[in-house]
Amino acid sequence: MELVGWIALVVAIVAVVAWYLSYNAARLDRLHAKVEGSVSALDAQLVRRAEVSVELANSGLIDPASALLLAEAASESLDISDAAEVRAEVAEQGVDEHRARVETDLTRTLFAVLTPEVVADLRTRDGYADEQIDRVQAACQRVQLARRFYNDAVTDVQNMRAQPQVRLFRLAGHTDLPQVLDFDDSVPEW
Amino acid sequence: MRIGIVCPYAMDVPGGVQFHVRDLAEYLLAAGHHVSVLAPADEETPLPTYVESAGKAVAVPYNGSVARLLFGPVTAARVSRWIERGGFEVVHVHEPISPSLSMLAMWACEGPLVATFHTSNARSRTLTTSRPLLQSGLEKIRGRIAVSEAARQFLLRHVEMDSTVIPNGVYVEDFARAHVAAHWQGTPQRPTIAFLGRIEEPRKGIAVLLGAVPRLLQKYPGLRVLVAGPGNPRDVLAGQPAAVRDACEFLGPVTDQEKAALLHSVDAYVAPNTGGESFGIILIEAMSAGAPVVASDIEAFRSVLRGGACGALFANADPPSLATTIDAVLSDPGLRARLRASGLERAREFDWSRVASEIINVYETVVASGAPVEVDELSERATSRRGVRLSAVRQIRRLRGGD
Repeated sequence: MELVGWIALVVAIVAVVAWYLSYNAARLDRLHAKVEGSVSALDAQLVRRAEVSVELANSGLIDPASALLLAEAASESLDISDAAEVRAEVAEQGVDEHRARVETDLTRTLFAVLTPEVVADLRTRDGYADEQIDRVQAACQRVQLARRFYNDAVTDVQNMRAQPQVRLFRLAGHTDLPQVLDFDDSVPEW
Repeated sequence: MRIGIVCPYAMDVPGGVQFHVRDLAEYLLAAGHHVSVLAPADEETPLPTYVESAGKAVAVPYNGSVARLLFGPVTAARVSRWIERGGFEVVHVHEPISPSLSMLAMWACEGPLVATFHTSNARSRTLTTSRPLLQSGLEKIRGRIAVSEAARQFLLRHVEMDSTVIPNGVYVEDFARAHVAAHWQGTPQRPTIAFLGRIEEPRKGIAVLLGAVPRLLQKYPGLRVLVAGPGNPRDVLAGQPAAVRDACEFLGPVTDQEKAALLHSVDAYVAPNTGGESFGIILIEAMSAGAPVVASDIEAFRSVLRGGACGALFANADPPSLATTIDAVLSDPGLRARLRASGLERAREFDWSRVASEIINVYETVVASGAPVEVDELSERATSRRGVRLSAVRQIRRLRGGD
């Protein structure tokens, strides 16, 4: 082959490789963005769950000891979400271990305080009580969904970053590898 | 008097509040009063005749760890029934700010109500959100007692309410007349020092004591460090030099009689607690038993030991200071004798005969002539639609300055 022919071939190969790498980089970028988006969504749902818990605690519908336990656990969650906002990297840091423990505590407190008997009794009372219970349950369900979406997004990123072309050409740069989040987000079955 | 006492924690679990309630109830019974104690309890646990079970405590996250508490509408109903049946002239709740039985009793009572506040170390965020929830309950209390100045300050700071300080009581004679246990008694060649407490809890300070032992062994090679209390010695001894390990004897949990004998026999009792004590009743017990006390200079201990007049204080969390102080006590029999004497005198101020009479004074001040404690109707109905409206009306009236 002529020299021009060889040069053309090399340029073509380089172009293909460059396209392939930038395609992968863009995919990776989208996946990272999805993780960030789902962290924000999870954060919002956690805050919502804590807020409806505080409302329930202050509503006068449950005895004061239960109310205090619930209010304390929910306030811990709200306080720690405030702190997370201050660290502007909530999207990057996401939900750390401390917060995971606090949210687990809130879940456990909800289970301890809102037993099936207590809830059944509340539902028989009036529309207001019924509504409050529904809101708490919905908030718990949304937290569970948000965590699942987040973990799915994280697994996608982890899988992609494990691929040879990503590792070899360091397409992920210096971004931290996101981790799957684990805390007790059980939804009570009332 | 017919007295109803509420304990928020199970009586068969060791704890300062529980011991206080038990001792108080038994003293009042012996003095001829009619006493009923309401407390959480397992079905299987045998209870003294004066204790009534309110149900089994439940594990729930609280105050940074897991607590065993009792709450919920079923419990609230049991509390109401106890009040109705009891015909008490006064109800005495312990630790009502803990979300458990005492809080429910406070809520359910209408009439002479006395409360004793034991704690001074809840995390500062506890009680800030809950103020509104607690306020109306706390206002019902006619007689507020704090077991220490620290507890009183805690109450002032967090709920802006004052209280009378009546300390925890001790049966001084039980300790003063304990038998000497020869195998724990110190000799000039082999002096003995005692530590009592949960060894795995850092705030009990065993690490500080172990840090002071090497220096002490230089002067007293035969020193015996007697450690009583629950916990695994292996974790505590990890990383300690062999000489320290050999000097320690772990006695494990001890019965009340063994505790009294131990305190009666050793050359010195060491309380190296680094914090978290609102009172320090163990110091009183040690002084009652005639043990010269060496304690860290945390506020509660400084107050109990009258700034060093009744016991030797050392700089908190400072092993060399502890070593120097223990040395001063072990080397000077005259000092030990003086500390024993001043300690015993101080301990007598905390004897149950004095403490209980102060408590009975509080009861008598709040008791209304002839009217027994009744169930607060509003609390019964507060969890119904009508009750919610009623309490809203009450709130509005209060805000407007009426009521």
